[in-house]
Amino acid sequence: MRYGGYAGRYIRVDLSSGSIGVLETPESLARDYVGGLGFGVRLLWDEVDERTDPLGPDNRLVIATGPLTGTLFPAAGRYQMAAKSPLTGIWGQSNSGGFFGPELKFAGYDMVVIQGRSERPVYLVIDDDEVRLADASHVWGKTTFETTDIVREDLGDETFKVMAIGPAGENLVRFAAVINDAGNAGGRTGMGAVMGSKKLKAIAVRGSRGVRVADDGAFMEVVDEAYEKLQVEWGEAVRETLTKYGTPNLVEAINAIGRMPVKNHWTGYWERADEIGGVAIRERYRVKQGSCYGCLVQCKYYVEVREGPFAGRYKGPEYEAIVSFGSSLLIDDLPAIFRANHLADALGMDSISLGMTIAWAMESWERGLLTAEDTGGLDLSWGNADSVIELIEKTAYREGFGGVIAEGSRRASQIIGRGTEKYAMHVKGLEISAQDGRAHQSSGLTHATAARGADHLTSLSCLEERGYERVAAERYGEDKVRELTDPLETKYKGWLVKDLEDLYAMGNSLIICWYEVGWPPVFYFDDMARALAAATGMEEYRDPRAIRIAAERIVTLRRMFNVREGLRRKDDTLPERFLREPMPTGPARGNVCRLDEMLDDYYRARGCDPETGVPTDETLRRLGLGDLAGRWR
Amino acid sequence: MAEQRVLLVSPELCTGCRLCELACSFQHFREFAPSRSRITVVRKEEEGLDIPVVCLQCEDAPCVAACPTGALWKEDESGLVAYDFDRCIGCKVCITACPFGGIGWDPKSGSVIKCDWCGGDPQCARICPTGAIKWVRAEEADATKRDRVARRFEEVSRLITAARGGV
Repeated sequence: MRYGGYAGRYIRVDLSSGSIGVLETPESLARDYVGGLGFGVRLLWDEVDERTDPLGPDNRLVIATGPLTGTLFPAAGRYQMAAKSPLTGIWGQSNSGGFFGPELKFAGYDMVVIQGRSERPVYLVIDDDEVRLADASHVWGKTTFETTDIVREDLGDETFKVMAIGPAGENLVRFAAVINDAGNAGGRTGMGAVMGSKKLKAIAVRGSRGVRVADDGAFMEVVDEAYEKLQVEWGEAVRETLTKYGTPNLVEAINAIGRMPVKNHWTGYWERADEIGGVAIRERYRVKQGSCYGCLVQCKYYVEVREGPFAGRYKGPEYEAIVSFGSSLLIDDLPAIFRANHLADALGMDSISLGMTIAWAMESWERGLLTAEDTGGLDLSWGNADSVIELIEKTAYREGFGGVIAEGSRRASQIIGRGTEKYAMHVKGLEISAQDGRAHQSSGLTHATAARGADHLTSLSCLEERGYERVAAERYGEDKVRELTDPLETKYKGWLVKDLEDLYAMGNSLIICWYEVGWPPVFYFDDMARALAAATGMEEYRDPRAIRIAAERIVTLRRMFNVREGLRRKDDTLPERFLREPMPTGPARGNVCRLDEMLDDYYRARGCDPETGVPTDETLRRLGLGDLAGRWR
Repeated sequence: MAEQRVLLVSPELCTGCRLCELACSFQHFREFAPSRSRITVVRKEEEGLDIPVVCLQCEDAPCVAACPTGALWKEDESGLVAYDFDRCIGCKVCITACPFGGIGWDPKSGSVIKCDWCGGDPQCARICPTGAIKWVRAEEADATKRDRVARRFEEVSRLITAARGGV
């Protein structure tokens, strides 16, 4: 590999045969797809197709780092996973912080590709040049925390970084997560179930190599500038929000604009929000600041509950988990939320899909469509935290009604029927994250168009959330600031969502954290271009236009993955609740999501045919994907 | 005499982000390699502790006493325990002698790695976002710690006052 930033090698493991290969990272892959998400997109396009069973041996799990992983660029300590999703049956991806990603790079690998299926449970050990499979029968059935400890004991060194699945992944819960470094989740789209289907319990990695960049001086200049931006220009905004409170800071802020999901997305405002907000957590429970690798934002934190049924020390939940287990279920008891989040991590499940599927069950219960006969006697009244805790455990083990929840809201509602389908809040099978398109129009477009289903991290705009007028003006022009920063305005939002979709895809390819790209909106294409060029020595990326094209290539090929699965414009939609039921309460009262007003613009910006949502031949050719042209309409 | 400075490490402020390790290895080897860093953050997962471990530049340094070739010595002026690669024979007795794990061995360069304060501008302290590693005047070191303890009492007394319902 002649480019800096990369390890230059990757690992391919075929679990069916037990063979392990160490291969060169192709230079063309690095140049055209950058890393992380880009690598996942290209590999899955080439090696998986519409006939692939997500839980079968032919599915691939790509675990990738990027050229900035393990460098001093701030918050570049993450890794990216991609596989066909067992929850949605389409494109799946998930990204996680902690320490695992950089350690993989320090061991000398850009990525790990897992294929096949083992007969017996195994875990993969990567110890610099030694790569081997180890028997995992003694950890099968253990929680992710226990597995991490036992694997480290097996290997005789607690500095091994471990990513693992819990019982939920083993039991093929469709939204099973991968948990690394004791509590960092690659949560969404069931990557843990993919590992479980392959009988791969964990990956442990330890590395002693270093990452070298192409141009030391230029790279450190970029790094210094990045620190200046984060610590000085955005210093107060970062310190007083993410550093001080973590993402729970969003609870109060998002509730204030009427966009915080309450009661299965029934409304966007909760009078009791302060009970579960960032300030309450900080004042009553927070005991320690935490951090992912190489990050100065440091949004992680730990809490302690000193008494009561949920006493214990926990990794602090994120905004999404607080909404998912809190306001969505009308639970305002923080210790119960901490406990639910801890169980999701320990048993290995996505807190968003888990909470939102339970929210579907609670609404169905309230409406009399689901009864004690279905739930095995569990009382699923709103706010019943004890039932929720019990149901979370049952879900991981697929016991009783837990076996229905384990299927995710789309399938669960199809199993139960009786009209409960209407209350399954998902897009393309993925449960809707903690935004509401009625209060924040562009977030509805994000949910409707994101490749992995109703996700926020794909393209959520925070310009409206917090009124970042200066950023809007710099990026898109003074004349558009009013519309862009108005959450209820739909004008320009199609173009905005397209732009951010590209930006975040590049962020996930380099890989740098969303909490310096998405919110707060610190780094943009020009920063990324300078960092990528200095790290790798790929001169073409000095031009920010080149990095935009690479980002578009990644996003377009990802979209083509879903097109190949049969998805078209009709699938880029939202549940009826968002399109037809006006927001009943709060600041956004009376609004619906005017999705159609934004969709045409989005497709035009994306270079797709507005009739079908399929990328046009011209777009495909422009991005170097001409061989795909004319094959899907 | 020039003023002496010390690297003040406060584990209670450390969050384990390891920016210090990256900055250190890059400063000395032009690569991001925590395994080659002179400062190492030890994480105790269960106790929730992150402890930066680095050479403490001892006054009566066991490594200096143990070194058979004079490759390590204490600089009077700065207080640094200095190291000379040319005089080092790689016997590693200094690593054995150090009671703190403050000295390491780098197989790639075949040399002892120990903190050299980056020649007067320690990169770990420069980058540390939490203040867990600070580059302070020697006389200030204890005062800095005292001040932080005092501030904690201030917080406690504020809580007591609030609990009593007064200001």
